[in-house]
Amino acid sequence: MNFIVILLRQTGRNMFHTWKAQTMIIFTVALSVLIFSFFYLIYFNALHLGEKLGEDLRLIVYLEEEPVESLQEEYRRRILRFDQVMRIDFIDSRQAFERLERQLGQDSDILTGVPRNFLPPSIEVYPVPSLNHLSRIKRFSDYLLTLPGVVKVQYGKDWIDRFYAFIQLMRIVTLLSGILLIMTTTFMVAHTIRLTLLSRQQELKLLRLVGATNTYIRMPFLLEALLQGLLGAACGITALLVLFNWIKLQLAGPLPALAHLPFTFFPWPIILCIVLLSSLLCTVGSYSSTRKILQL
Amino acid sequence: MIQETSPTSIIIDLIKVTKVYAPDVEALVEVSLSIHAGELVFLTGMSGAGKTTLLRLISRMEHPTKGLVEVAGIDLAKLPQRSIHLLRRRIGMAYQDFKLLNDKTVADNIAIAMEVAYRQPAFIEKRTRELLHQLDMTRKYSTRTGELSRGEQQRVAIARAVANYPEIILADEPTGNLDAETTAKVMELFHQLNQNGATIVIATHDSTIYQQATHRIVTLHAGRLRASAFGSPTAFSDTRPNEDSAPTEEALTS
Repeated sequence: MNFIVILLRQTGRNMFHTWKAQTMIIFTVALSVLIFSFFYLIYFNALHLGEKLGEDLRLIVYLEEEPVESLQEEYRRRILRFDQVMRIDFIDSRQAFERLERQLGQDSDILTGVPRNFLPPSIEVYPVPSLNHLSRIKRFSDYLLTLPGVVKVQYGKDWIDRFYAFIQLMRIVTLLSGILLIMTTTFMVAHTIRLTLLSRQQELKLLRLVGATNTYIRMPFLLEALLQGLLGAACGITALLVLFNWIKLQLAGPLPALAHLPFTFFPWPIILCIVLLSSLLCTVGSYSSTRKILQL
Repeated sequence: MIQETSPTSIIIDLIKVTKVYAPDVEALVEVSLSIHAGELVFLTGMSGAGKTTLLRLISRMEHPTKGLVEVAGIDLAKLPQRSIHLLRRRIGMAYQDFKLLNDKTVADNIAIAMEVAYRQPAFIEKRTRELLHQLDMTRKYSTRTGELSRGEQQRVAIARAVANYPEIILADEPTGNLDAETTAKVMELFHQLNQNGATIVIATHDSTIYQQATHRIVTLHAGRLRASAFGSPTAFSDTRPNEDSAPTEEALTS
């Protein structure tokens, strides 16, 4: 109990005496967390959006000719063999024509005189929502192309390509900003603690002379760094939340379609992880400095 | 680990201790000295006689070049680094150069010795006020030590050394900057702590503080132990050492 009281007192005293440096560190950590979590939030929402879009994904397998009952069974057996397929629907030429008519609506006149079986028959394959990875969709599409009588497989390849390229880019940006977060927090804290230690050499020497343990000397610095990480991350996440709501509000006016997209802020477990990560990095920075300077 | 000592046992034991500073300054030469628990010893001698070095060896701020230093039954040469704090908590040392933190208050400086031993904050405050009262510095509680006079700083250093009720108190020239009245107060504090069981070693060349004393007086000269007797040093004035080749204080403590 006394240990905790004295530890908190020491830490509070240290932080109070160096409040300018403390403010700078907390600001730097907050900025790093803001940059990292901003890109991570975009990535997080892009993934979320990808999942949503993946739910509506279907592959249309165009066939050379109308499959007979036995061939339909064969297709069904070979496609449903994959766990990732939820259901398949056979669309014959007449059904395809009716759909087209419905889609054209008032302009369906243009189909007058066109034979009702001019569209190729097809199979609509609905994959399970978890099949949202481009490479896996591609592989599955390639497999479908090998089936007998299949002419073409269509699944909106272009937008999926672009979308996953964007996700890939965001992944890299998030990773880079994560590295920035690690470097700034760790080095900034380590450097500042190092300077503090050097400026307090006399006091540290005296502490040893009056019988202070290594833990007694080191713990306030570790706690100080932990608090810096905690406060910095809390400020960064709060700033991001404000920014997120502001952007949502700004975009809702000119782009009402965006209001229907599932943009969400981080759930609590992710917020907790970011705060813990930041605190851990600061503590590691402090640990390495105290270890080096105090020669513990 | 540090052992408990009985009141009559030897608490500080130096056997043929030699300390040589680079390049070849002999601060102590084959000094043997045993101090019993609860004893008050005056360590006298001129500047550069080796008094400070001897105290630094006892508190393990220095290692002897040769010989054995034992405190509370522990050979300090064998005391692992991780256990030094246990030794230091049992020793309160008032340094000749005070070693005060000038940007901290008087109370903070005294509290340090108790805080490292994880004393309760209420105890720390009570003890600090009590010591300041005894040393006539009650009004300086919140004053920064950098703003104090040398004499006041010396009293703060003494208060810090005795604050945690150490078993051994080492005082290096504790009255060097004090007037007669304050010297008497400081000596009264030391006597009081000694009566309560503390072993005290006072290194001094101020003869006024040990002239009338009945305690043991140990005299060092040029790093050699010249006399050890009870009562006034005049009793062994025939053993008064010659004054050749004594290393300077600066050379010894640098």
